[in-house]
Amino acid sequence: MKKPTGISLKNKTLVVGCGQLGATIANKFSKEGKNLLVVDESEKSFEQLSEDFSGYKIVGECTDLEILEQAFIKTCKEVVIVTGDDSINVLVATICKKLYNVPNVYVRLSDPDNEILLKGLGVKVIFPLELSFDKFNLMRGGK
Amino acid sequence: MKIVIANGMHAADYVIGIYKNHKKHQIILINDNKESAKYLADKNNIPVCYGHPNKKEVLEQAKIRDCDIFMALGYKDADNFAACLLAKKAFGARKTICTVSNPKNVTLFRDLGIDSVISSTALLADSLIAESSLEDFIKQVSIEDNSIVMVELVVKDTYHISRRRIMDIDFPKTGTISCIYRKPHAIIPNGQTVILPKDKLVIVTTPEEKDSIIKFIQTAE
Repeated sequence: MKKPTGISLKNKTLVVGCGQLGATIANKFSKEGKNLLVVDESEKSFEQLSEDFSGYKIVGECTDLEILEQAFIKTCKEVVIVTGDDSINVLVATICKKLYNVPNVYVRLSDPDNEILLKGLGVKVIFPLELSFDKFNLMRGGK
Repeated sequence: MKIVIANGMHAADYVIGIYKNHKKHQIILINDNKESAKYLADKNNIPVCYGHPNKKEVLEQAKIRDCDIFMALGYKDADNFAACLLAKKAFGARKTICTVSNPKNVTLFRDLGIDSVISSTALLADSLIAESSLEDFIKQVSIEDNSIVMVELVVKDTYHISRRRIMDIDFPKTGTISCIYRKPHAIIPNGQTVILPKDKLVIVTTPEEKDSIIKFIQTAE
């Protein structure tokens, strides 16, 4: 995989994992005009990106430092980690903070018990299940 | 010692074999594969906690709190990493060890806080490198995660250190001759010890200095 060229080195957002959630986030960010890169180990997963998606796509294992560096992790302002595997998300988040000191890291976790694994790293955790419940609760007029 | 072995089948079985006959050790087995769990339980007569070692409730159920060693031997590197992290952060494991399939993860996981990381591929590569040096009668063993190496080397008559007292040799400060094997005895040397041809020297040094020390020893008179 060749390094993307012609990309600004600053203020980039990296989305790790291009499943349903990753593709939705990437499509929205792309519409907002963000300087965007998406990494996924399967090229097929990029089919979920919209036709007018303007970011860069990188195929490779997201726990591989070479792939992350191809995705300019060293100068990313934010990384959104949303693969479907909590262990991989925890590992990538730890890499982002401990090795590259990325300013803003958002991580999706399915199991709330796993939050302790990221304690003290300064990452923000997203629990899709809780978000869905909160939204549902708001819809029915709850707090 | 309280030792937890999470996942793995043959590797787990081998490790259990090392510890199970020592009564001072308490072994706790966790496995997320039904077949492996049954195999290990039947063969070793030790109960196995069936479940994913990345799950907090499984580790709670297995009562691993304050274990001395937690080792994750599964086939998925990221799962092994997460299990070790969970054992350390939530259950106070003193030492975490894991195996990795990808040799690149040895350094990575160590940098991220796992105490000891083992890759069979990396070990094989190390062993091949050591074997390739055998032609020069050199063997080496790495200890403490490759921060120290022990080099074993046979002295030839032509070497400049041969038939000289250690105190008369300007031996590099970056290594020490820890032992001399002179059939049939092992000698702990001091400055007065004379190095003889066919002596087998055991030298402790660092991986960075190893080559320069070997070169120093092999210099001809």
